[in-house]
Amino acid sequence: MDAFILSYAVVNGLLQGAIYGGVALGLSLIFGVLRVVNFAHGSFLMLSLYISFWCWSLFGMDPYLSALITVPVMFALGYMVQSVVIAPLIRRESAMVVEPLSALLLTAGVFLVMDNMALMAFGPDVRALQGAYYIPTIFIGGIPISGQRLIGALAAFVVALGISYWLRHSDMGRAIRATAQNRDAASMSGINVPAVYAVTFGIGCSILGLFGALISPFLPISPSIGLAFGIKSFVVVVLGGLGSISGAIVGGIVIGVFEAVASQFVTATSASIGSLVLFILILVFRPQGIMGRA
Amino acid sequence: MNRFAALDKTPQARGLRLTQTHVLLVIVAGLAFVPLVVTDSFTLHSIIMILFFAYMATSWNLVCGYVGQLSLGHAMFNGVGGYVSVLMFTQLGLSPWLGMLFGGLLAMVLAVLIGLPTFRLKGPYFTLTMIAFAEIVRIWVENTNDFAGIPLKGAEGLIVPNRGDDFWAFQFSGKVPYYYIILTFLALALAATAWMERSKLGFCLKAIRGDRDAAEALGVNPTRYTSIAFALSAFMTAIGGSFYAQFFRYINPERSMGLELSIDMAVMAIIGGQGTVLGPLLGAAILTPIAELARGAFGGGLLGLHLVVYGFALMACVLYFPKGAIDPLRKIFRKIAGGGAK
Amino acid sequence: MLSGNLGRALQRVLLAGAAMAALGSVAQAADAVKVGCVLPLSGGSAAVGNQTRVGAEIAARLINEAGGIKSLDGAPLEVLFADSQSKPDVGVTETERVISRENVSVLCGAFNSAVTFPATEVAERMKTPWVVVGSVKDEITERDFKYVFRINNKATYDAREQIDAIDLLKEETGEAPKTIAMLYEGSDWGRSHAANVKKIAAERGYEIVLDEAAPPNQTDFGNQLLKIRAARPDAVIVALYTPDHLLFTRQMMEQRLDLPFGVHSVGGGMEDPSFYKALPAEAVSYAFVQEDWQIDKLKVTDDPVIQAANDASVEALGYGLSAYSAQGFSAMYVIADALERAGSADREKLREALVATDLQEGPALITGYQRIKFDEQGQNTFAHGVISQNLDGERKTIWPKANRASDTAPVWPVPAWSER
Repeated sequence: MDAFILSYAVVNGLLQGAIYGGVALGLSLIFGVLRVVNFAHGSFLMLSLYISFWCWSLFGMDPYLSALITVPVMFALGYMVQSVVIAPLIRRESAMVVEPLSALLLTAGVFLVMDNMALMAFGPDVRALQGAYYIPTIFIGGIPISGQRLIGALAAFVVALGISYWLRHSDMGRAIRATAQNRDAASMSGINVPAVYAVTFGIGCSILGLFGALISPFLPISPSIGLAFGIKSFVVVVLGGLGSISGAIVGGIVIGVFEAVASQFVTATSASIGSLVLFILILVFRPQGIMGRA
Repeated sequence: MNRFAALDKTPQARGLRLTQTHVLLVIVAGLAFVPLVVTDSFTLHSIIMILFFAYMATSWNLVCGYVGQLSLGHAMFNGVGGYVSVLMFTQLGLSPWLGMLFGGLLAMVLAVLIGLPTFRLKGPYFTLTMIAFAEIVRIWVENTNDFAGIPLKGAEGLIVPNRGDDFWAFQFSGKVPYYYIILTFLALALAATAWMERSKLGFCLKAIRGDRDAAEALGVNPTRYTSIAFALSAFMTAIGGSFYAQFFRYINPERSMGLELSIDMAVMAIIGGQGTVLGPLLGAAILTPIAELARGAFGGGLLGLHLVVYGFALMACVLYFPKGAIDPLRKIFRKIAGGGAK
Repeated sequence: MLSGNLGRALQRVLLAGAAMAALGSVAQAADAVKVGCVLPLSGGSAAVGNQTRVGAEIAARLINEAGGIKSLDGAPLEVLFADSQSKPDVGVTETERVISRENVSVLCGAFNSAVTFPATEVAERMKTPWVVVGSVKDEITERDFKYVFRINNKATYDAREQIDAIDLLKEETGEAPKTIAMLYEGSDWGRSHAANVKKIAAERGYEIVLDEAAPPNQTDFGNQLLKIRAARPDAVIVALYTPDHLLFTRQMMEQRLDLPFGVHSVGGGMEDPSFYKALPAEAVSYAFVQEDWQIDKLKVTDDPVIQAANDASVEALGYGLSAYSAQGFSAMYVIADALERAGSADREKLREALVATDLQEGPALITGYQRIKFDEQGQNTFAHGVISQNLDGERKTIWPKANRASDTAPVWPVPAWSER
């Protein structure tokens, strides 16, 4: 393989990997604070893609502008799912050891409901935005870089930095970190734990709202799109370290570059087997992930 | 939901356990008479599907319900069972009755190999690993037409050649033989579960489930016992896969090894009541007809409706019936049994 | 959105009710003939299944409006749809249901070969005729079955036709690709198609320089496009379903990847109308598409039934007929023809009538065939796909030559992106 093809593959992998990371941020944040593996993660992304699509097709809204709608809507939805569906479980189990399996099952239920409601409401047809061709592809040394993908990739870094800063320097952020470290201690020092949980879940989902708006210009949308991103997000987050914000971005880039380079040597199907093997190896030998603490 | 298999040593419970065996016998005996009453081939087919899913959920429950590990990768064993028995039949001419034992053994080996490094993983980590293993097997089979001279035929799937009415080929023209076969399998699986509940294995599993470290301190080797149960569960699931292959005479990786089948098995056991003998049977008896009714009633007019119902049922169960739908029934039963005793 | 869809569903129910009421007055004399139709109405292939359903519904309505089955005193067709969810076991269960419970005279379906294969076995065992719609697996009509009939192509025909079209263009212009790349989805359909293409291409002297399977539901085709770029093929043969095909086509345009002899799609995504709605014309221009019906049929036919069907499709789906709805439509007319000749809804008599089918005109040939006649295995040997090229924003038939309009001139080789 020559240097051109290799650097081309790396650029591809970086762009795609950063987007994987950005999409996975919410999953990692929610796990870090609530210890809940959100099986419905991809479904929330699917929904925000649809919202972005409908904003464009019904009102002619620019897909990037639709973030103004998707972000608050997804925040509200996440807030609601946490306080209505998951909170009763956490209340019930608060006295005992938290059993994350029940939460996984609960969100698996949310996944089944959301994906199939979307199928019932929107139908199985694949949809795609057509209006967004104003961002041209740039060619650097003969390597094409899609403007839209570049924006998505950059946004992943910005969001990750923004969330980290906010967690460190705002009151709510500090409350979230305190709750993540020790729920009972946080509760005793006057932090409203249920509210913190709901806000965290809301923020996790609103990040998906943002990325829904950012990737809707180039991604075909169907009710089953969520699962593809959902499983990828699990791999990314486990690789980077469940609960780690920077880990999500690092994990995304590792997977993105790994798949891009590997698929130049073998078929993409073998590359995807490779990333699953990597996933298992990490879980068995370093369950805290690349960036997570032991 | 960690504790619903907690040991219950009250006198009523002992009485109940006896009753449970009775209930089991009554159900199986009752089911044995169904083909005498039901002659309509479609109804019989539907009941066979319910029993099949009940059998699969029971196999899943054998390890997952008792150890408290959520496996969403059991379809992999189902696929291994189906593929081995079909390939041995088409390539070597071996009767599927024997082939399925080989399939079961291979699934056992696979289960132990996968289980040894992964049992230590807790909660969602174990679940995610199992999904990954099952996906690897599925993707590999889908993309392999020929492995060391064995024609796996990739995503196309395998066809079982028609041999007409032939017991040794596990092929029958009517549905009644299949009915009794799956009923026998189910009865054996239920008996195995009931036996396990009372055996040393069962006690050790419950101890491990309650507190793995404490169990280890008491001299219970968690890896050993979970491996045994996991292997047993994989063996039974693989036998189910062979049955599926013979009943439909066609299998493909997408259906036989896919995530959806794994979810179906788990959801049925959980909604019915995991960690109980009769729970998975109840779950399958509730959920399979829901899917069929939704299909029949709306004829695809409302796509995916039954899965929405599954989703809500799953959420309701986790929140309000963590011991499954069998729990309220058991309470009523206990009342009657208790009342009788007085 | 929800209300829109529900509203449409309601509307459909009301319309169906009105239609039945209207029929009631005409057809009281004769009992309706029940036709079962097993299709993937949910699950992975749901979009296709629903288009096929709409096609069959339209055909049944038009047949009934035109007086039903005349040899049965104007008995109307009553189509019962069953959802296979794209799963073999569910498809078999539903087949059992419609045969034994609904007592249908004949069945059709089921698009997914994985469903059709075991489901037709049930039909054979229960002696109920089955008209295959959309499934291309060769073995479906190679089992000496007596009750299974397939109107459309076998998988091997699809592959052969794609190479045939390249050969035809070579004959006409003297220019042809030397090397071909293949990109296909890694499940049943894509893989078997690729295997067939590989065999036939080798026989005809084309070199396959890249043989690449892609897992379904990709989020990025950058890696595959790079591989194609590195392999430098003259043309690429593509077998992808709608979402992947969309993404591939869009990224290929963005990356300005030049292929002198273009993209040759075997349908899948490229025969789905929603595909064209989602892309600018520039992205698909000059691409070749093999489809199971003739896309510009409406221009070359003056059959009012076909025009009416197209209008009804626009009303029901928002777009005109597609390969899938046309196949559902065609199947109903083949069944109606057989019923007419059988003069009975009896399964055995209907089977005999289907064996004797020999259609050389009429709405059943909507798919662009010249004739429908089954061989002893139940395969319509006159089936063929139609290959079109995207020219000036629409698909124009270029192969077979008999179906090509006189004013259509294929562009071959295709211009580079910089020259468009």
